[in-house]
Amino acid sequence: MSESRLIIKFGGESGQGINTLGQILSKSIKESGFYNFAYREYPSLIKGGVASYQIDISDEQIASSSRYCNILSILSKDAIHDYLPSVSPNGVVIYNKEDLELSQEENNYIKENNITLISLDTIKMALEVQGIELMANMVLLGFIWKLLGLDTKPLEEIVRDTFKDKNVDLEAEIRCAMVGYNSNQIKNDVLKPITFKPKMKWKDSLNITGNEAVALGAISAGCRAFYAYPMTPATSIFKYLGDTYKKTGILIKQAENEITAAQLVMGSMNMGTRAMTATSGGGFDLMTETISCAGISETPMVIVLAQRVGAGTGVPTWTGAGDLSLALHGGHGEFPRCIMSVSNPQDAYTLTQEAFNIAETYQIPVILLTDKQIAESIFNIKDLPKPIDIERGISNGEYRYEITDSGISPRWIPSINNPTYLQTSDEHNITGESTEQSNDIVEMSDKRLRKVETLREQIREPEYFGSKNPDIVFVGYGSAGNTVGDTLKRHPDVGYLHYQYIYPLKYEKIIEIDGKGARIVLIENNQTGDFGKLIKQESGFEITERILKYDGRPLFLEDILNFLND
Amino acid sequence: MPIPITQYNNEVKPTWCKGCGNYAIHIAIKKALGELDIAPNQTLITFDIGCSGNGADKINVNAFKGLHGRSIPLAIGSHLANRKITVLATIGDGGCLHEGLDHLIHAIRSNYDITILIHNNQNFALTTGQATATTLEGKEMYGLPDGRPEREINIGELVLSSKPSFFARGYSGDPLQLTDIFKAAIKHKGCSVVEIMQTCPTYNRESSLEWFTERIEKLEKPLLTINDARDTVLMHEKIKTGIIYTDNSIPTFYDRLENRKNSTTELIDEVKQYDISKLLEDFK
Ligand SMILES: Cc1ncc(C[n+]2csc(CCOP(=O)(O)OP(=O)(O)O)c2C)c(N)n1
Ligand code: SF4
Ligand SMILES: [Mg+2]
Repeated sequence: MSESRLIIKFGGESGQGINTLGQILSKSIKESGFYNFAYREYPSLIKGGVASYQIDISDEQIASSSRYCNILSILSKDAIHDYLPSVSPNGVVIYNKEDLELSQEENNYIKENNITLISLDTIKMALEVQGIELMANMVLLGFIWKLLGLDTKPLEEIVRDTFKDKNVDLEAEIRCAMVGYNSNQIKNDVLKPITFKPKMKWKDSLNITGNEAVALGAISAGCRAFYAYPMTPATSIFKYLGDTYKKTGILIKQAENEITAAQLVMGSMNMGTRAMTATSGGGFDLMTETISCAGISETPMVIVLAQRVGAGTGVPTWTGAGDLSLALHGGHGEFPRCIMSVSNPQDAYTLTQEAFNIAETYQIPVILLTDKQIAESIFNIKDLPKPIDIERGISNGEYRYEITDSGISPRWIPSINNPTYLQTSDEHNITGESTEQSNDIVEMSDKRLRKVETLREQIREPEYFGSKNPDIVFVGYGSAGNTVGDTLKRHPDVGYLHYQYIYPLKYEKIIEIDGKGARIVLIENNQTGDFGKLIKQESGFEITERILKYDGRPLFLEDILNFLND
Repeated sequence: MPIPITQYNNEVKPTWCKGCGNYAIHIAIKKALGELDIAPNQTLITFDIGCSGNGADKINVNAFKGLHGRSIPLAIGSHLANRKITVLATIGDGGCLHEGLDHLIHAIRSNYDITILIHNNQNFALTTGQATATTLEGKEMYGLPDGRPEREINIGELVLSSKPSFFARGYSGDPLQLTDIFKAAIKHKGCSVVEIMQTCPTYNRESSLEWFTERIEKLEKPLLTINDARDTVLMHEKIKTGIIYTDNSIPTFYDRLENRKNSTTELIDEVKQYDISKLLEDFK
């Protein structure tokens, strides 16, 4: 078994319609029966800068990007310099003639790697078939479609579907795509036909981002309020829940800041509904006081922490996984919490539902970690898993903060039918009365922390993939795990231990693997190996071999392949 | 049938100083709820951190004592989840004008159907008497031996500038008027803001009962225009109390949500598994 890929990249400026182009292509490829994975790079500005949209087409379900592409389509002058080095040997570069000014070095690269340059005046071609300038991208799409050697029917269907509700001349759009497809510039030696077989069943698969799957998980779990404050890469959860709010009835509120968003969640969940907010590191900083409050008052909360790279404002639209320590330690005082990490739409969907169950049952804040690579990339997946049953942990009892072995006290919904309900962020006794007594403080603190142990019993073990007798076992989570997962398809001799539940941590499998003598390698999309530190803290075991990447890019397939080949 | 005030009592002893205005405010809240026939378990009061917040466990209602400056968003989140529960947010002048000023302004402009009670004792009392934005300019305060160097914020002016749907001013020395104000504020559909001039004999001796008695004048009825209301709250020599301004034409936040217009349930009634298969069609 060896997965093969054909990779297309669009490079241009923000605001040139690269996304639409990429989306249509990705959908049409799926419609033709092929798997694909789409990854976007874009700057934190509205017009200009350099942006790209890369589609990896494969004969297997994949969830990562390659560092290299076979076809590079350049829409703006500057993009060539950024993306030419990513064109693989024998690749094709499509560009507008007047756009290309290459350095000597670049020309050498092209020669050495036998790269073909094709200049295509897409605007002129669009106008020639009575299209308009804006339809130049359609010409490009048709041209690429021809290079791939695919039947035009699926492409036409998707184009029609994409523009059906928009105010455009559909027939002209199709004509433009066709003039690209039939261009006489396409010579046999530049064709890059997909050589693997389509799986026609795959047509019904889903093209979905991690954020959309989180949103669907929330909808499915009965989340009835979403409190938002925009911050990349969490924002598109807000978009999806907002765009569907008439169908779902979910209350959407854009709060004045993240402090408010978190407080709204805490207030709503305390009253007995399910609510959620989503942010990135900077917004999460502002939420930490509320997380601490939820911790001591034992109020359920669900927060999505969609990571991007860097401290301060960092590099807002680029990926990273440097906020694990923040999720673990954000908020003053000592209190129980649960941290989960998603890596693809399937587990984003499931874990979001589980987050609500755990938050309510254990009356704790639950933090759902994701990162830009998961949040915004478009995964092509067969289906989402079955929904999981709702568990709410609502029970009657005499005392709100009763001391129990499990650490879980009775929780009820404030209502005309129930006794009054007192929540407090003061240290308190079993009734909720504020206390400063030493024994009360210790008893209540111990009770709360027992919830971590009870939860540790309930959560899933990390999942092991790959070889039964591995020489090397990677340990990871999040989007880095996706790349390892795809590597296993080419390296059946390695193993991968994948974490969804980060805290409480189940570490026994790592010790077990170490006992069998395999080399253990930590893989993280950050600078200091946060997860490794957690493993050491919890288990005493230190993973000394590490792959760490913190340049704002996800782990590309080649990052791991090169490591294995070294 | 009014509910007797004793139903809102519990066993926990108050911890306020002798002569503290919080006693009267606390009683007025209980009386107002009782007279409106709103039962303890039909009420939620969010408490801030401060002397006012120390009342949280001394009243038998649903209560949530959260964080300093945050009782307003906590109340809003609670209200949106279940509008059948009457929600009040109590907060000190410190929490309201310093730590959480943004929340006050946005609550007013969103016009959530909640009641906000600002306990204005002109200082951070629980932290032993530092200056707040309502402390008089130049007044000697904790850590400020030469007097506080900034101007004051007039709560009435601030609230009115945000175009509230209800603003009233009460006084802890007049619990009967306060009860009436609270009743009107709770009944008002929309965000009701009540500034309570609260005595603090420990850290604000200047604003004593006598000082207030000399200055307070009751308004017979609310002012008709927001400009008149502003002139009234800005008076220097007099402190006007009563319902100062109302505007019933402003819709509440919830009533403006298109997707909730026809729903007959509250968010708390709607937690169940939802079928997403129709939504998934868009991803195919
Ligand atoms: C985030 C935070 N900062 C500071 C404090 C300390 N603190 C507790 S009460 C208080 C002042 C309260 O003043 P005010 O809101 O006017 O209430 P009062 O005590 O006067 O009733 C402060 C600053 C805190 N609890 N939390
Ligand atoms: S310090 Fe002031 S506000 Fe606090 S309890 Fe004493 S009198 Fe009341
Ligand atoms: Mg005060």
